[in-house]
Formats: sequence, structure tokens, C-alpha cells
Amino acid sequence: MTPKGVTLKSNSRKMKFARRFICTLLQMRKPRPVSLSIEEVRARGQRIKIAAYWSMAHAVGSRRAWSRALLFKLRNRARYQTIMRRRSPGLKTKRVIKNDTPGELSQTKKLRQLVPGGKTMDMCNLLEETAHYITCLATQVKVMQTLADNFSK
Amino acid sequence: MDPPLINESSFSAANPSAYSLAEIWSLGVESGGGGQGFRMGSLGLTTGGFCESSGNRDGSAEESTVTEQSGGGGGDGKKRKEASSEDESSKMVSSSSAHDLNESHGKRMKQAGSLGENEVPKAEVEASSAAGTKLAEESTKLAEPPKQDYIHVRARRGQATDSHSLAERARREKISERMKILQDLVPGCNKVIGKALVLDEIINYIQSLQRQVEFLSMKLEAVNSRMSMNPTIEGFPPKDLGAQPFDASGMMFGSQATREYAPSSQPEWLHMQVGGSFERAI
Repeated sequence: MTPKGVTLKSNSRKMKFARRFICTLLQMRKPRPVSLSIEEVRARGQRIKIAAYWSMAHAVGSRRAWSRALLFKLRNRARYQTIMRRRSPGLKTKRVIKNDTPGELSQTKKLRQLVPGGKTMDMCNLLEETAHYITCLATQVKVMQTLADNFSK
Repeated sequence: MDPPLINESSFSAANPSAYSLAEIWSLGVESGGGGQGFRMGSLGLTTGGFCESSGNRDGSAEESTVTEQSGGGGGDGKKRKEASSEDESSKMVSSSSAHDLNESHGKRMKQAGSLGENEVPKAEVEASSAAGTKLAEESTKLAEPPKQDYIHVRARRGQATDSHSLAERARREKISERMKILQDLVPGCNKVIGKALVLDEIINYIQSLQRQVEFLSMKLEAVNSRMSMNPTIEGFPPKDLGAQPFDASGMMFGSQATREYAPSSQPEWLHMQVGGSFERAI
């Protein structure tokens, strides 16, 4: 089983993500609904998506800014939703960097919205985190694709 | 004025780096020539402690005259400093006891800098640029242009903007380097020219990946619920063990991991795992 060991070592992030994600999936399999409406199906899909993102962020750890932001957001999501319901919006104001040159403003803005935690980064960090985020997303997609293929067999 | 005087153990023990700097400097002057007046000054600043103690012994007479002169004024002191540096360097090349002159010169530079009020930051900037890990050409390049228009007051401002533009250039290089990394990551992005288009490609790629995640999660949801409906399939089919290594480990860890992970003091894990949080999270 040497190739397996090699894969284990070389793709440790992938391994961690897959393990966590499968655990979460197994957990989520427990409730067995008999009949589902479309909204419920969508909500369940959303939950799996959140679980996938969460597993990835946790597999990366808190070394990266994007995973930290994602973990923080997901962890405090329920809490913030209840807080926001009670209080007025605009409670949490984040520091937003606005020192980009106007030519690349729209693209940079979009990129900031796409990368988690990107609103508080400067350009250099944003690009670095984007690179890491892209690799992680690609890994995530690959693992999920494999899982879906294997499940549906 | 003998080299053995400097080779005392106390000096080398106190600041060996400074001493080695002085040594290197003296070699450089002997090979280089008059254009190194400023590097000399900056290195003299770095060997501060060394100069303070030795200058008292060697060049006390020189030192007193220097302090008198530099009391005159800022611009005057600058000119005089330049002249003295040239003078000193020419002397240095000829004389054999380079070390002592170096120290006294460094001391003189320092005093002149402290007396002329605007001199201090400039000298420090030069010292930092020379003491940093810059190349020799770069340090001379930094040191020489202010030397030519050293008399003008505007040179200081020019130098300040120069350091800013240097920082800006470094930042731009960093950004372009990261863009290159990103271009390698995103497929089909190598042929695209222009920062905006590359950013567009990156954004499209991220969006497509996120959409793919969404689609796959829906698919997994369908599969997962179907498998949960079907009690005959327990976990994963065993044929996946060989083909998909991470699946295999997931299979292996999957059954007991929920029991392993839950009590392992991971509040996030618990928070996410205990079903209700997911319901609320949506």
C-alpha cells in the first residue's frame, strides 16, 4: 500500500478535508425524512455546501486569512443571525481598504467579495490568499466530484 | 596610530561586527577610490561605539577642530563634510594605518550630522540603505546622486520620494509576481495579457468553482438522502477502498470518527455537528 501512503502524505489537506466532509455527511444522514419539499431539498443542499466549505476551512486551519474569515463567519453565523434579527443592522463595521487604483477597482472589488475575508486585505495579501483559495476550491471540487461519483454508483 | 592598537581584544569582543565592517571598508577604499565617501560615512555610523572609544585616544586634536567647524551651520557643514570625506579618502588610500583614520572620520561624520539639524535623517537613511542587504552597485547608486546635487535643498525631498517610489516599485513587483502565480493556477489564463483581463479570468474561475461546489452539494444531498433512505447500503461500497484513497480513509475514519471527534474538546466541531446548528445556520 505504498502508493496509498504517498497519497496520504502528499495530499494531507485533501485527506483532512475528505475525512471531515465524510464525517459531516454521515452525521447529516441520520435524520431520514420521508418526503421533502423543494425548499427542504434546497436547504439540505445548502447545508451540505456549508459543511463542505467548513471542512475545507478547517482542513486548512487558521494559518490562512481566508480560512480564518470563513471559520469565523460560519461559526458565528447562527449567533449573528439572531443578533441581527434583534438589533439594527450596521452593528459590525469592518475596516475596508480603499487604496486601489481606480482602473482595477471593479475587478478587485469583485475579487474581494469572492474570497472570504477579502474586504480587509490589501492587494498583495488578497492575491496571495486568492491563489491559496483557488487551490483549495479546486481540491474541494475534486473530492466532492469523486464522492458524488462513488455514491451514485 | 598602529594597527595593533585597534586589534585590542576589548574592541573585537565588544562589537566584532563593527570591526569587521571597518576592515571591509578599508579594503574597499583601497580598491575603490574617491566615489565611496558616503559609504564610508555610513559605515562609520554603524561602527558608532567603536569610534567613540577610539577617537578619543587617536584623533583628539582633529576632533576638536571638527567640532568647531561644524558649529557654523547646516549647509556649510555639508559642503565641508563632503570635502573632508574626499580629503580623507585620498589620505586613506595612501596611508597604511587606515583603521585609525577611519574611526576618527566616522566620529567626525557623526558629530557633523548631530550638529547640523537636517543632516541626521539623511545620514541615517544612507546608513540603513548601505547596512541593509543591498548590492554594492545599488548602494553606490543610492549614495551617488545626492552627492552630485548635495548642495541643493531639494535633494532631500527628491530622496524621500525616491524611497517611497522604491517601496512602491517593490509592492508592484510583489503584486505582479503573485499575479503570475495566479495565472499559473487558473487554467487558460496564461495567454491573457493585461491585469484586468487576468483578474476577470480569476474571478470567473472562482465563480465557476463555487458554482460547481453548489451543484455538487446538491448532487451529494440527493445521493446522501437516497442512501439514507436505503438501509441496505451501509456506508461506502468496499470496492472504493482501492480506487480512492481518501475515500478509503474516510470510510475507515467515518464510522468511529464521530465518536472520536465529538468529545475531543473541539467546540466548533460540536457546534457544527450537533444537528440544530445546521438548521439555524441556513
